[in-house]
Amino acid sequence: MRSLYKLFVASIAKRSRVLTMAAVGALGILLGVVVGLGDEVDRGAQFISRFGLLLVVPIASLVFASAALGDPVEDRTLVYLWLKPVQRWKIIVAATLAAVSVTLPLVGVPLIIASSFTGGGRDLVFATALACAVGITAYTGLFVYLGLRVKRALLWGLGYILIWEGFIARAGTNASRLSVRGHTRSILERLTDAEFELADFSIGYSVAMPLLAMAVAVSLASVRLSRQDVD
Amino acid sequence: MIEQSAQSPMIEVAGVSKWFGDLVAVSEVTFEIGPGVTALLGPNGAGKSTMLRMLAGLARPSQGTVRVLGRDPKTDVELTRQIALVPQQESVFEVLTGLEFVQLAAELQGVEDPADAARRALELVELTDDASRKVSEYSKGMRQRAKVAHALVHDPQIIILDEPLSGLDPRQRLHMVDLFQRLGAAGRCVIVSSHILEEVERFGSRILVIAQGRLAAVGDFRAIRELMDDRPLRVRVVCSEPRRLGAVLLDGGLVMGATVEENQLLLDTVNIASLRSELARVAKAHNIRLFEVLPLDDDLESVFRYLVDPNRAVRS
Repeated sequence: MRSLYKLFVASIAKRSRVLTMAAVGALGILLGVVVGLGDEVDRGAQFISRFGLLLVVPIASLVFASAALGDPVEDRTLVYLWLKPVQRWKIIVAATLAAVSVTLPLVGVPLIIASSFTGGGRDLVFATALACAVGITAYTGLFVYLGLRVKRALLWGLGYILIWEGFIARAGTNASRLSVRGHTRSILERLTDAEFELADFSIGYSVAMPLLAMAVAVSLASVRLSRQDVD
Repeated sequence: MIEQSAQSPMIEVAGVSKWFGDLVAVSEVTFEIGPGVTALLGPNGAGKSTMLRMLAGLARPSQGTVRVLGRDPKTDVELTRQIALVPQQESVFEVLTGLEFVQLAAELQGVEDPADAARRALELVELTDDASRKVSEYSKGMRQRAKVAHALVHDPQIIILDEPLSGLDPRQRLHMVDLFQRLGAAGRCVIVSSHILEEVERFGSRILVIAQGRLAAVGDFRAIRELMDDRPLRVRVVCSEPRRLGAVLLDGGLVMGATVEENQLLLDTVNIASLRSELARVAKAHNIRLFEVLPLDDDLESVFRYLVDPNRAVRS
């Protein structure tokens, strides 16, 4: 699996993608400094929620995760992996791990640094780290599957982020329960003094549910890879 | 249509069809393949690649069964240890060097000492000197050779090659043909697809002809070549006296049919070589001036159309 992991990391970490996401991360740090100059009590948590968890974490995850298997499907190199005596779930897990390990340092770490500049204290830094880790892992699982399942996964993923996560999930508790953002915001709320609407799930639940979603997505992707025709 | 191999079949295809929506890519195909080199011949879009993908397990037949070494290539992951495919597409992992690309295959196949196996495979395709270059810098021919090395690194029993000579220079073509023949002689089942008749001629004696998704002929290359050469051909002749020339050629037995259409003479013959050599002499002897002689269906497409003509029995 190590060979697969290395291949996926090298394939998805294209210079243009990495530079773009590094720039977004740097922008986050800069904005964190600016936010730290303000005087609202929960300004730091609000900034991390809006800029980090609604925007940067899902979009960066989408960019890298959808490319992990979407690129090999698109350029028809998947055949070189499929025709090997490797269990299909190992290919999916390697792709997911690769996408997480590229996304986490590129946007997760800058967001953690940004949170430290916002004046939210240690609690916010820890909450940001946990929320980013959970969010990136869950989104990556979902978008790896999406990359395997559909063409133009970036567009579909953006639609999901904007429509479901950004709009429908704000309609009520049940919808929020079915969104990754509802859980990552709950983590922020539980670990800091900030208050968010429709984000009052317990820490355990908010960590477990997104990870469960990731596991389901990985399983679905493994089944899909076993059964689908490969070009 | 089915030809039983003298040796035990390594690949068995029974009543296989594959369709994509309304498009039928492969229709009711049945054959068996044993060790040695077998060429799959057919025009572009005939269903060759779809057939090869089903043999490799990349695609599931819509109907019928494919067995490779007695097992189902679509569901048996372990069978991939015995199968190699060189796909038609040029794309490879651009971020890797040639050596890394081949070594990746060796590692995933569980080959002992993957680096050494990769170097030997690259040597086999004469790519050793460029092994450390990124595949993205390779020419089409070099990519093709890297794909062959990637496929052969684990010494598989079944080797499926989809148009493997495209992009190679003449010397490399000879080298590859020799390599495939050596693998076939060593007991491997080597299947090579091509849409070029002359290319297939080099591979060896046994061919499968596929056209319009159907198996048009199976058997010895020479027998099928004769079948192709013996088919009726139509030739258009523009001359000063088409009716008289047609009558003379019919009387002389050089053609089996002659039709005059808009002052042009359309000739049907099963012996194109004789007609080619005699036409000018006959015309001169009867003082008829020839302006144009044009074979109307001498392309490979017409050969395949002829072979799949349902009104003609195929025996090779």
